[in-house]
Amino acid sequence: MNMAESFISALQSVKANKMRSFLTMLGIIIGISSVITIVSIGQGGKEAIMGEFDNLGTNVINVNVKSLEGGIEDRDYLTLKDAQLVKDKIPEVVAVVPAAGAMGYMKTEKEKKFSEIDCITHEFNKLMKVEMLAGRFLSEGDVEAARNVIVIDEITAKKLFKGPEDAVGQRIKVTINDNNTNFTIIGVSENAGGSMAAMFGDNYPGTGYVPITIRERIMPNVQISLFSVLLENMDNANEVAAKIVRLLEQSHRNEGKYAAEEGFKELDMLNNVINIFTMVIGAIAGISLVVGGIGVMNIMLVSVTERTREIGIRKALGAKNKDILLQFLTESLILCLIGGIIGMSLGITLGIVVGKIINIPLRISPLVILLAVGFSSAVGIFFGLYPANKAAKLDPIEALRYE
Amino acid sequence: MIIRVENLTKVYDTGAIQVKALSNVSLSIERKEYVAIMGASGSGKSTLMNILGCLDRLTDGKYILDNVDVSTLSDNELAVIRNKKIGFVFQAFNLLPRLSALGNVELPMVYAGLSKSDRRQKAKAALEKVGLGDRMHHRPNELSGGQKQRVAIARALVNDPAIILADEPTGNLDTKSSEEIMNIFEGLNNEGVTIVMVTHERDIAQHTKRAVVFRDGEIISDKQIENRIIRGGSSK
Repeated sequence: MNMAESFISALQSVKANKMRSFLTMLGIIIGISSVITIVSIGQGGKEAIMGEFDNLGTNVINVNVKSLEGGIEDRDYLTLKDAQLVKDKIPEVVAVVPAAGAMGYMKTEKEKKFSEIDCITHEFNKLMKVEMLAGRFLSEGDVEAARNVIVIDEITAKKLFKGPEDAVGQRIKVTINDNNTNFTIIGVSENAGGSMAAMFGDNYPGTGYVPITIRERIMPNVQISLFSVLLENMDNANEVAAKIVRLLEQSHRNEGKYAAEEGFKELDMLNNVINIFTMVIGAIAGISLVVGGIGVMNIMLVSVTERTREIGIRKALGAKNKDILLQFLTESLILCLIGGIIGMSLGITLGIVVGKIINIPLRISPLVILLAVGFSSAVGIFFGLYPANKAAKLDPIEALRYE
Repeated sequence: MIIRVENLTKVYDTGAIQVKALSNVSLSIERKEYVAIMGASGSGKSTLMNILGCLDRLTDGKYILDNVDVSTLSDNELAVIRNKKIGFVFQAFNLLPRLSALGNVELPMVYAGLSKSDRRQKAKAALEKVGLGDRMHHRPNELSGGQKQRVAIARALVNDPAIILADEPTGNLDTKSSEEIMNIFEGLNNEGVTIVMVTHERDIAQHTKRAVVFRDGEIISDKQIENRIIRGGSSK
């Protein structure tokens, strides 16, 4: 009996018991569809989140104040002079952006928006592309002159004003820890949170960029704890990072208070976290696939018992053990394969629907499809082998006598 | 000589006790013979049938079928022998309920590896031979007992076997259908088909040419049938 014929014969027997076949497949369908849905959403989510970082400059080293030994004292915090020093003394450095940030409120007379206020310099947009919707970004003059000007983002502009165009030129009050400061809006940028912000809607905090030179006025308690250093290239980033740390240590006469790392270390970590997360949930969904496989094995065992006489007849008519084995193995393979294909379609559909609802573009890799088909076949063969082998080894006389 | 059995012994080992189903049976069957194997239940006739049909193995002795010593063959080789040399007809018909008459008759040829069109053609011819040319696409549950057994005979014939082994072929049939089946066997034997039939009914055995009677695992008589019934009751 050749492969094609046992395939057709198995298909007929699957068709003969439609309801039972469907229920058997259901386990596989649920298993495969949940794996595909979860992995697709995971992939899509990852790409959406990673997309947020596309605007980030690549040649960036972040220098943090870190308490490696002992506590951090006031004199250990970074200063604007340090920034100038690093830029002047280390030739590979293109720009240094000192940053300090705090959470607070941006207020008009009627509305307020919970926001993150970042003190930065005009060179911030060399690290990260800031798309302006209206007005302009901070200028060198704003920073030098320590002007009370602010760049707000789109969601804040929409919450407090009619929109980006309307917001430019308006005045707002920024409140951080009971410290009130009045600002003039000079520009509105795209949401810093990107589509993350869209996902969370109005509750997502806004962002405001102000010159670092007014930090002491608006957030006296918050020190500069981060330098983002833009380099020409990352060829010897480690050496440059070490140089920066040494320079800062000399300047502050301390040791072990600064850590420099590539700006993308965190991105890699985030990437890993999402991958692990997807894998863990995918594995949990995979368990349902195993449960489905056991269901297939169960039904195949029932089917072998039910068809004991058929097996006896076939053997009497000249079927070899391997013919019987192949027949039952093909049946469980077909059950799982059909289940796998239905599960795959369902998983993709479900992924698209869920993706639409939570606003994540779906990413269905062909690998996942290949994996689904391969995995369901493997389940079919693995869980079909025992029942098929049992059928093949039946004694023809016993089988013929079976009522 | 198509079947030669020498000193055949079959012992069933049930663990606690050993049951001797056949002891020292020797039997020869020539080509074109029509033999009835008779005996009460427990006499060993079914055991002999299973061994002759290569479904079971003998414990001791020798069995030569169509010049092949089958007592030494492997399971797979026995499957090939069953497929090519033996045609079974069972008391309970043993047709596959999901398949049409045609599909059932094709089954032995599937395992023989014949092409689809060859199978179709041969199965049709076999069904026409047993008078079921108009019932080919019916399933077993749409056929009468006699028709089912005719499908089974067509299936037994289709690979041109060396012998047909029939195990109580009329056991589940009414008198009229039984007559029909016996007529078919008669006709086949006249065409030169060797038939070995197990039965405990004396009047069925009267249709055959030779009766071998078993008791307690041994042959107690083996003689030609006198007053044979041929073709629906006429005697010769």
